[in-house]
Amino acid sequence: MNQEQRNSAAQLRMAFPYKCLAACTRLAADGEDWALFGASGSTLVVQSSRGTQSTWSTEQNVENKPDHGDESVEGPSGKRIKLSHPTHQKNNFSSIKISNDGKYLIAITAEDKSIRVFQLSSDWQLRQLSERCMTRRPCSITLSDDNSTIFCADKFGDVYALPLLPSPEDERNANPHPEDGPKKYAPSASLSTVHSGRNRKVLEEQLKQAAKGRPQPKDAPTFKHDLLLGHVSMLTDVVTATVGSRSYLITADRDEHIRVSRSVPQAHIIEGFCHGHEEFVHRLCMSNSNRLISGGGDTHLYVWDWLSHTLLEKIPLQSAVLNLYRNQSGLNSLVPEREEDFRIAVSGIWNVPSRTDETDEILVACEGVPALFKIKPETPSEEAQTLVLNGNALDVTFVTVAGANTAIVSIDHVHEPGHTTKTRENQEPSRLQLFTTAQNGEWFEDDRLKSTLEWFSQDTVGGQDTGESARVAFGKEVQGVIYGVENLRKRAEIDAAVSV
Amino acid sequence: MKRKTDTMPGEPAKRPKREAARKAQGDDEAALPKKRFYRQRAHANPFSDHSLTYPKSPADMDWASLYPAYSLKKSEEVVNDAGGMEVCGSHDETPSDKIRKSTRATTKNVEIADIGCGFGGLLFALAPQFPDTLILGMEIRMSVTEYVHDKIRALRVQNAASDTGTYQNIAVLRANTMKFLPNFFTKHQLHSIFLCFPDPHFKQRKHKARIVSYTLNSEYAYVLRPGGIVYTITDVKDLHEWMVGHFEKHPSFERVGEEEYDGEGDGEIRQRVRIMRTETEEGKKVERNNGDKFVALFRRTEDPPWPTEG
Ligand SMILES: C[S@@+](CC[C@H](N)C(=O)[O-])C[C@H]1O[C@@H](n2cnc3c(N)ncnc32)[C@H](O)[C@@H]1O
Repeated sequence: MNQEQRNSAAQLRMAFPYKCLAACTRLAADGEDWALFGASGSTLVVQSSRGTQSTWSTEQNVENKPDHGDESVEGPSGKRIKLSHPTHQKNNFSSIKISNDGKYLIAITAEDKSIRVFQLSSDWQLRQLSERCMTRRPCSITLSDDNSTIFCADKFGDVYALPLLPSPEDERNANPHPEDGPKKYAPSASLSTVHSGRNRKVLEEQLKQAAKGRPQPKDAPTFKHDLLLGHVSMLTDVVTATVGSRSYLITADRDEHIRVSRSVPQAHIIEGFCHGHEEFVHRLCMSNSNRLISGGGDTHLYVWDWLSHTLLEKIPLQSAVLNLYRNQSGLNSLVPEREEDFRIAVSGIWNVPSRTDETDEILVACEGVPALFKIKPETPSEEAQTLVLNGNALDVTFVTVAGANTAIVSIDHVHEPGHTTKTRENQEPSRLQLFTTAQNGEWFEDDRLKSTLEWFSQDTVGGQDTGESARVAFGKEVQGVIYGVENLRKRAEIDAAVSV
Repeated sequence: MKRKTDTMPGEPAKRPKREAARKAQGDDEAALPKKRFYRQRAHANPFSDHSLTYPKSPADMDWASLYPAYSLKKSEEVVNDAGGMEVCGSHDETPSDKIRKSTRATTKNVEIADIGCGFGGLLFALAPQFPDTLILGMEIRMSVTEYVHDKIRALRVQNAASDTGTYQNIAVLRANTMKFLPNFFTKHQLHSIFLCFPDPHFKQRKHKARIVSYTLNSEYAYVLRPGGIVYTITDVKDLHEWMVGHFEKHPSFERVGEEEYDGEGDGEIRQRVRIMRTETEEGKKVERNNGDKFVALFRRTEDPPWPTEG
């Protein structure tokens, strides 16, 4: 970005869409009190039903970072908005989770590979308790049922257990290198081993090293983190599940695998695999009735009896997206010329919470698609309801207001609906849409919470006329942060052709 | 990111000659293949996607084409071909799927896997010693796999009437076992896994590419039945210690005492260890160079009761 673009980006004062949302309800003496949390680029935004409004940014809270003072500007509601800066790395939030007891928020940032734990105060303010930098980029986190342990799945295929709140003892006994074998350093090659010249060079280097002691990898974490299990693949999601007194960890990877393992302290035991996906798996979701729903690069959503590792049902999703594009005026142009080349990538699967616990209802989003698809496993005859949105669906969370489920949906207000690269000429002013279920079970757009969430949802200075180049640059930056699921798809490699 | 290919730079130039030579040799099914037509660079990246074929699940595996003599239903569709490279069925499920699956099934399941089998020395030595056991070699490098495949084919033709072994019980397939082992084998299917002279990956940065690690051992434990054994051998002391360390740390394995596998006595374990020490290509190379050989065996233990049910 050149100086001119930066200046116009400064004038632009645009906010990132919410890549992730989380909500939490507390029962106070004087009734319900809930809060909504959103990750907008490098900023966490909080809004409560009783009026708390606050933000927390990775950039404001970086110590010893020179020249970040002019990096953010004040929005109308006192919100600080981060601006893009070409010279230093921004740490954008890629996932947030709230502990089941509503006391903590756990967030991961991709660029610095960090897990941050925040305490939620009585008025929902965020106070950072810890920031732990992992060796590999975390892809997905979840918490144990008792809230004591964070399970972190990373890009290199490993799942680590970290105490939510490390005790002083944990810190002392930190095991910096659980994945390494013998502790004593000795060169691994020896003169008698039969190997290539290249290996001989390695040996020479190692003999030199041996004098200096074991080489420490630069970024080996010093906090407690126990390696539980690993795939030789990029992990995309991890969820926990419980049946009676047995708890499980279920992990998904880019190589089509869904693995069911026992949870700690027996996470080394693999119970089985849910085989069937033909493309990468991206999201796992446990339903109310303890079924597993999975989706990724396949044309269908898969429904599993994960305990017996059997596929119960495949629910067509690609055709649902195509139907939407065909039938919705305004989206017709998205119908591909060759339908067989049309690809979808599931970006989110959400279980709709239910009081009765036995009825399953699922909302699904695909990357770059301006809609949510409501799915009820086991009732295939029922026409799936499509909730058309004003922008591509990004995340969904639920709050209960006056006994009814409200789905809070974050949308991409920067790019054109149906596109992940083309920016809008006129920004959609709201970054959220709200839906409630009617008596008949259908979702309808419900604006009752709109005013409560106005500060949270509005783009601060949306609509301000800014230069084309700044708009495009901003669109690119946003795209890099909120999209990328489709990139998990394997490309046909040419090595087979050359190596036969 | 730079993509690594399976081939050596400069290799394509040699290719036409090589292919012609292999073709000529291929016309004579009984002729043993020549290694020099199948050489390939030493390392294939186990993290890259390659262009592998693998079954969606063990149930989708076409075992009958690998072990035609053990085919459950000898059907027209089953080509009488040794260790075919086309291992998996079509991805679209059709009503005739069940029928096709049964033509792909064998009367026995594979029970011994040689992981990273290289040029297959172990397979060829095990075959006549354990004639009633199906043994599978798995190898990531394409040309090397083809060599083993062609050699199995030749040995089957040569020994069709032999009563000391017909080589119908061995097969090879190209696979990245670090990623796809559970796609081939069901839980507890195997009784033995061989890891012979694995690539040492000396540099610390490359340790993740080693075929033994705490996390991969969970997959070996998954495909091995309780009581089953992982056999390891290497000439690299550090790798030996690494393997011992990572298996001993893993609660599903316990080390097998030397008295159970060493020496000239009887028993299948001793017999297998003797073959492993002498018959693999790497083993022979080490022998010629008077190198050390470090052997370690690990037994798969029973899974413990669930924590809350013990
Ligand atoms: C040093 S060679 C040993 C070959 C043979 N076991 C022997 O002892 O002669 C190691 C072999 O493992 C293979 N290999 C490495 N990683 C593999 C993987 N992920 N899956 C299958 N084979 C692999 C290599 O291609 C190589 O042929």
